[in-house]
Amino acid sequence: MAADPVSFLPALRPIDAQPAAGLAAAGGQAAATTDFGSWLAQSLDGVNRQLAQADRGLQSLATGEAQNLHQVMIAMEEARIGMQLIVQVRNRLLDAYQEILRMQV
Amino acid sequence: MNYLQAYAISGAGMAVEKARVDLIAVNLANAHSTRSADGGTFRPLRLVSAAGAADFPALLAGALRGPEVVEVRPLDTPPRLAYEPGHPDADAKGFVAYPGIQPAAEMILMLTATRAYEANVAALNAAKSMALRSLEIGS
Amino acid sequence: MIGGIQAAGTQMAKLALDAAALRHQAIAHNIANLSSEGYVPLGVSFDAQLLAQRRALAPRPEIVEQTWRGAGPRPQEVDREMVELSQNTIHYQALLRALGRQLSILGSAISDGRRS
Repeated sequence: MAADPVSFLPALRPIDAQPAAGLAAAGGQAAATTDFGSWLAQSLDGVNRQLAQADRGLQSLATGEAQNLHQVMIAMEEARIGMQLIVQVRNRLLDAYQEILRMQV
Repeated sequence: MNYLQAYAISGAGMAVEKARVDLIAVNLANAHSTRSADGGTFRPLRLVSAAGAADFPALLAGALRGPEVVEVRPLDTPPRLAYEPGHPDADAKGFVAYPGIQPAAEMILMLTATRAYEANVAALNAAKSMALRSLEIGS
Repeated sequence: MIGGIQAAGTQMAKLALDAAALRHQAIAHNIANLSSEGYVPLGVSFDAQLLAQRRALAPRPEIVEQTWRGAGPRPQEVDREMVELSQNTIHYQALLRALGRQLSILGSAISDGRRS
């Protein structure tokens, strides 16, 4: 009469098969983005695009072609934040470099 | 100035409502006019306004338009006959045909036109405050 | 010197600001003369299309008399002038704010993001 106590448990899988596949995928992705140089180049391109977008927004505002005001303002704010971020990254890099220079051999 | 369209649309609405109130004033002022330019007694006037381009393609193209005045149409209300034999415009039986203007209807129409005008002003103020707020993005 | 770094947007915004300030003068003149007999409203001859095509000789804005080209009678002056006043005020403030923000982006790059 009593229900089979173990029939509702899911079939046990080998422990190491599933996690290994996931880790391999994550490792491949991590290898693509851990290259700091390429990340920095991508960020600089992104900030450049944002600055160009903000300048285009200002031009459209001056010629009266702007469709709405908040898009222009948001584009300029994104450009400003991106610029500040990249400037801070540059500051930290310089500080780290100077600290390494100061190290006594 | 596409983003400044809202102001032009509200301005067009205000102009239409003001023209409508002007016509009502003409009607009320001519309540006892027995002669008119096209012969016969004065007929009450109504303003016919049509909506401008106001559909989704126009919205996408930034070509929304407010209302515009189409025509000023005289109504065919029957004149009010009054018995005044000594009047210069009395007909053979001594009846004078006064314009069939109903002051109550004209006053109600004037009230609705005034409220519509105030609503347009409110819409313009709302658009202005929205634009001023959007200038504060990032402050 | 700064003109070489961000030329197009800031130059056009400065020209548009001149036009908006001049347009405010014209609107104020119109509002002051609302009940004058035979008064022709003034406007500003600013060709935004020439500015959009970045002609180097984009004309300076000037105050001219406005001719009524629309269908039907010229609308009531008060409404039109108040609407133009609102439009122009918003446009002027938007240009000012956007131009200031553009220059502050440049300023943050120059000062390395430091507050001193």
